[in-house]
Amino acid sequence: MTNHWNDIANSDCTLVIGGNPAENHPASFGHIMKSLDTGGKLIHVDPRFTRTSAKADIYAPLRSGTDIAFINGMIKYVMDDMDKNPQNYNMTYVTEYTTASFLINTSFKGPVELDGLFSGYAGGVNETDGAKRTYGKSTWTYQLDDAGIPKKDKTLKDPNCVFQLMKKHFARYTPEMASKVCGTPLEKFLEVCRTYAATGKIGKAGNIMYAMGTTQHTVGTQNIRAYAILQLLLANIGIAGGGIQAMRGESNVQGSTDFGLLSHILTSYLKQPQNTDTTLAKYLERTTPTTKEPNSVNWWGNTPKYMVSLLKAWYGAAATKENDFAFHNLPKVHAGKNYTHIALYEAMEAGIIKGLWVWGQNPLVGGPNVNQERKAQDKLEWLVAVDLWETETANFWKRPGVNPADIKTEVFLLPALNSYEKEGSVTNSGRWIQWRYKAGDGPGVAHDDLWMMDKIARKLKELYVKEGGPNADSILKMAWDYGEDHPDVHKVAKEINGYNLTTGKLVDGFPNLKDDGTTSCGAWVYCGSYVEENGKEVNRMARRDPTPDTYNIGLFPKWAYAWPMNRRIVYNRASVDLDGQPWDKEHPVIWWKDGKWTGDVADGGAPPIKVDPKARNLPFIMTAEGHAKLFGPGMAEGPLPEHYEPWESPIKNPFSKQQYNPAVIVWRAAEQGTVDKYPIVGTTYRVTEHWQAGQMTRNLPWLVEMQPEPFCEMSEELAEEKGIRNGDRVIIESARGNVNMVALVTKRLKPFIMDGKIVHEVGMVWHFGYTGLATGDSANLLTPHVGDANTTIPEYKAFLVNVRKA
Amino acid sequence: MSQSKAVVQKYARATRLLHHIHTAAFIILFITGLVLFIPQLGFLAQDSWTRIVHRLAAVVFIVAPIVYLVMKPKAALRAVADACTWGTEDVGWLKAAPRYYFLCDEEGMPAQGHMNTGQKLWWFLVIVFGAVFIVTGLVMWFLKTVAPAGLLQWMVFAHDVAFIVTGAMVFVHVYLGVIHPMMTEAWQAISKGTVSEEYAKSHHGLWYHEQVKEENTAPPPEPKEVVEVH
Amino acid sequence: MAEKAILYDATRCTACRGCQALCKEWNENDEVIPAVQGGVKERNRGSYENPKDLSTRTWLKIGFNEVEHYDKLDWLFSRRACMHCTDAACVKVCPTGALYRDEAYGIVAYNKDICSGCGYCADFCPFDVPRLDGNRILGKNKMDKCVLCTQPGLNRLEIKQEPACVKTCPTKALVFGDRDTLVATARQKVAALKAKGFTNATFYGEKELGGLHVLYVLNDTPDKYGLPVDPKFPSTATAWQDIIQPLGWTVGGLTLLGLAFNFIIAREAKMTKELPGKAGKGGKKHVAE
Repeated sequence: MTNHWNDIANSDCTLVIGGNPAENHPASFGHIMKSLDTGGKLIHVDPRFTRTSAKADIYAPLRSGTDIAFINGMIKYVMDDMDKNPQNYNMTYVTEYTTASFLINTSFKGPVELDGLFSGYAGGVNETDGAKRTYGKSTWTYQLDDAGIPKKDKTLKDPNCVFQLMKKHFARYTPEMASKVCGTPLEKFLEVCRTYAATGKIGKAGNIMYAMGTTQHTVGTQNIRAYAILQLLLANIGIAGGGIQAMRGESNVQGSTDFGLLSHILTSYLKQPQNTDTTLAKYLERTTPTTKEPNSVNWWGNTPKYMVSLLKAWYGAAATKENDFAFHNLPKVHAGKNYTHIALYEAMEAGIIKGLWVWGQNPLVGGPNVNQERKAQDKLEWLVAVDLWETETANFWKRPGVNPADIKTEVFLLPALNSYEKEGSVTNSGRWIQWRYKAGDGPGVAHDDLWMMDKIARKLKELYVKEGGPNADSILKMAWDYGEDHPDVHKVAKEINGYNLTTGKLVDGFPNLKDDGTTSCGAWVYCGSYVEENGKEVNRMARRDPTPDTYNIGLFPKWAYAWPMNRRIVYNRASVDLDGQPWDKEHPVIWWKDGKWTGDVADGGAPPIKVDPKARNLPFIMTAEGHAKLFGPGMAEGPLPEHYEPWESPIKNPFSKQQYNPAVIVWRAAEQGTVDKYPIVGTTYRVTEHWQAGQMTRNLPWLVEMQPEPFCEMSEELAEEKGIRNGDRVIIESARGNVNMVALVTKRLKPFIMDGKIVHEVGMVWHFGYTGLATGDSANLLTPHVGDANTTIPEYKAFLVNVRKA
Repeated sequence: MSQSKAVVQKYARATRLLHHIHTAAFIILFITGLVLFIPQLGFLAQDSWTRIVHRLAAVVFIVAPIVYLVMKPKAALRAVADACTWGTEDVGWLKAAPRYYFLCDEEGMPAQGHMNTGQKLWWFLVIVFGAVFIVTGLVMWFLKTVAPAGLLQWMVFAHDVAFIVTGAMVFVHVYLGVIHPMMTEAWQAISKGTVSEEYAKSHHGLWYHEQVKEENTAPPPEPKEVVEVH
Repeated sequence: MAEKAILYDATRCTACRGCQALCKEWNENDEVIPAVQGGVKERNRGSYENPKDLSTRTWLKIGFNEVEHYDKLDWLFSRRACMHCTDAACVKVCPTGALYRDEAYGIVAYNKDICSGCGYCADFCPFDVPRLDGNRILGKNKMDKCVLCTQPGLNRLEIKQEPACVKTCPTKALVFGDRDTLVATARQKVAALKAKGFTNATFYGEKELGGLHVLYVLNDTPDKYGLPVDPKFPSTATAWQDIIQPLGWTVGGLTLLGLAFNFIIAREAKMTKELPGKAGKGGKKHVAE
């Protein structure tokens, strides 16, 4: 989240798209409700009318997988309106704080010219050769002046400036086209545009909340890009009640991301080393952005400090300047190879991966095309599953339809403690790191994850000492000292915060980290969470002081700790004008008063642009440009969001000949369903009563009682067409498999009328399996092995199915 | 009153058995019902034991007459026929009853059959309220979860009305049978089955004379099945 | 002490059902569900709503109603539990005094120990809330219903805590407090809803049954939420207590009196007759034996 949960109450209009906070983030809805109490509006855009829609002022249906067509349509609406009513928008923000004025390489071409593709594509339209489904990005660049600074046209008139390129790009996304592609009634679409565009006015704040309905698409990352562009045009980033909120589906998903649990990052979003990084210097050169933009803070320019401090935390005394701070001890990935979920299970099936640790996860319910993944897991030599209950992943060897004797995998099940049976921190979606305490003992021989990890690490070290082995230094040189019996969680927290190795004291904030090996820090964004104040060690994550902030906008700066630097709203410098005065004086986030910043912790900290024109004080401190990127050359499938149909779609892409995302990896082309056999759009989700893959909630009787069986929601129209009555058992089938579920026939789903053609959509819950108090088919037996072009998050939310009565 | 040694069979054994069983069932039902009626007795109903007893008694209350009907259909039907056959003596009875019961003035009282008019009225009450009890009771017992609440409320109401009416009538019944100064042999009739000839003559004159006629023509070793109800 | 109440603002409710789950957990109504595969006897009946009905273990249930009103589709959620009526029919008909009005809080309190399981409360409740459990055939039952978290040993009000359902509500759709204050709040909310265009918005519970202790703010008429539009104290309950009870005593008493009267007169008459003389006139007819 750019902002945080409590801040939603400040919003004048909340647009929830690709999310269902009332059901899947029930506590968050209290904050939304607060915004409604003070006159705010709630818009819900979703294929289904859900419990969130029930509370919304406007509900707009859209077909799964068409977010870009929808949001691009909104962007076009806003850009057209900007021409007519510039007084309703914060044009200074757009010109000064975003890359709208930046001039782009004249050779750059977009989908208007190239039938859905951008310049630099290695293949042709609808390329089938996987090797050619990729872009060269040489034209996706800024025009630079002699000093290497991007050229700008602050009048936004130059045909090659980002603003004009956007106008050209988004011109095709007319309300009529949006309505035709998304299936949203035209008037409803325009109502959304009008209502949300009103937040562009200075003093108004609009907030976009999304979750997996946005990300789990072949264009998931571009979906978010589209939201970002819309929010930047409306000057909604950095302000109170604004921003883009990724609602995390689990209390500590933000924390796990912060700690590098994804394959492309180390802790705190430092990039994962790869085989071409033969030295630390090469790694740093590849991963440290540079800029000639004189006022840009370019915070990632500090990468060497954070990387060296991380290596010092991990390898301690064994990390010296002479040995590249033990950089060589880090495992490296192969450049260009994919290490995400789908790729891992494909590698498992291919016999490349032989062992698997599954830690508090249930991929054999939650993975896409899960039947294939179940079979892939059969090939493992060993599996360690750590969980509170026996999961589908843990007992895959005795699942229905297999003979346990045929599966040779050795399976270890380690019983774990739940969050209330151990002490530690959790980081919520709003980046608040909150300490929590042990409430009670766990059952039997269950242990916490830290205990297990500590035991394993120490046993590994012992074995390496005794027997040796490959990459011995990676293990043996690792600094590992958290206590003898149970590892001390505070020791871990302090290591994460980091030390000044010269003084031996805790570092207070990452500006104090060094790249010379004199500081250590386990996760730089957490630096400042556990510090020394007045000679005493203070765990700031444990603070519970509900004192309001200076301007009373719900920041609660003394409650726990928020990364980075206890900043509650990131990019908050965009909430003020060039003089440091807040755009919205009723809800100021920061305010330059009497020569200093007041309010939230100001990004960067330098004086306002007009106060000190020489300072590094551009608001978007994490971009090299210092400006928010309307034009995103970092993206795999193009710098501007372009609508492509899902991998499996009921219609031909009306915007271009390019049917689906040209940059995605297709693993199983043969398993692509076609509209003649599978004419209905399928989507998946979970419900309030079940959490994630259900391994916890399907073992809790009173939740099972409330949602005992998997169901498939469908419109009355489709049910009538198929002769299905409410409560009937139905079979839903895709090119991958089929499931048996209860039909839930409802008015809340309506067929989409697209260009006069009726397209039905059905929705299914995915969090059931063959284990636990309640069992049933997971909708993931239907989902495809295809993912987003940037992150490879699987396309769970849009695929093709057919439905019949069981 | 009568000390006569000559006796006539008034109630057959089966009849008497039915009377006693039904009486016992009714009393149990009455008392276990009463605990719900008198709040001060409510504590006795805790843990539902009185309801269990009530239901067991209800089974007896329902089954006993059915068994009787099946085993002795002729007698049962004759009793019904008797109760339904009203003649001049019944009109006379109604006219004479107040003087009879209050002043013990037997003069205006016409001779009665095996069932006198008062007994006929009682018999009707038993049939009508017995049916009310059984129907409303069964509904409350078995249809509690399915019957509409409005219906169940009226079932409670009707059951209670029947409870009050029959309760009052039972007092009268017992009083007349056991306590009233003139009903000296009614208790004997229902407990032993016989009454003295004298009593039979004075209380059930018509029936007595019929009996005597029959007995004169045929030896009467086995008493005829004759029926009356409680 | 001021009467307490729960204010349920249906326009804030997201049907997350935290209240439904916590109600069970706090009141220990979940412990009987066998925690084995198939132990939970529920299935999906083509609805989000489950279990099917209130029961002795489900004292609070959220209902889901799909309606079309104000020219759009809506999904209305409604809370179903004991309404804690001021004029509570269940209290009126309860033969054992197990159900009684708690004067301190104004709620319908319940002493489960002395419940006889007659089920009159279930029959007479205008909201169809009390549920019986036990042996249907023998009639060995116990009633259960929401007691606003006042079960002995689990009494939250006693320790100045709001009921569990209120505690867990993330959107403050449930609020607990002094009834007078909540009535004022509810009036304002309904007025605001009407101003917003919800012309049928209803404040439910202010006057019904002498005033409910669960107040509802609805954006439409109560029937849209599955609530009885004009719940009435059942006339049969009035009849039961105000007619049948006195009638019973009167009829019983008069009968006994009449019999005693008859006995005195008849005995005297008989004795007079045996020693000839006159007796008074009888006034009452009686049927025989």
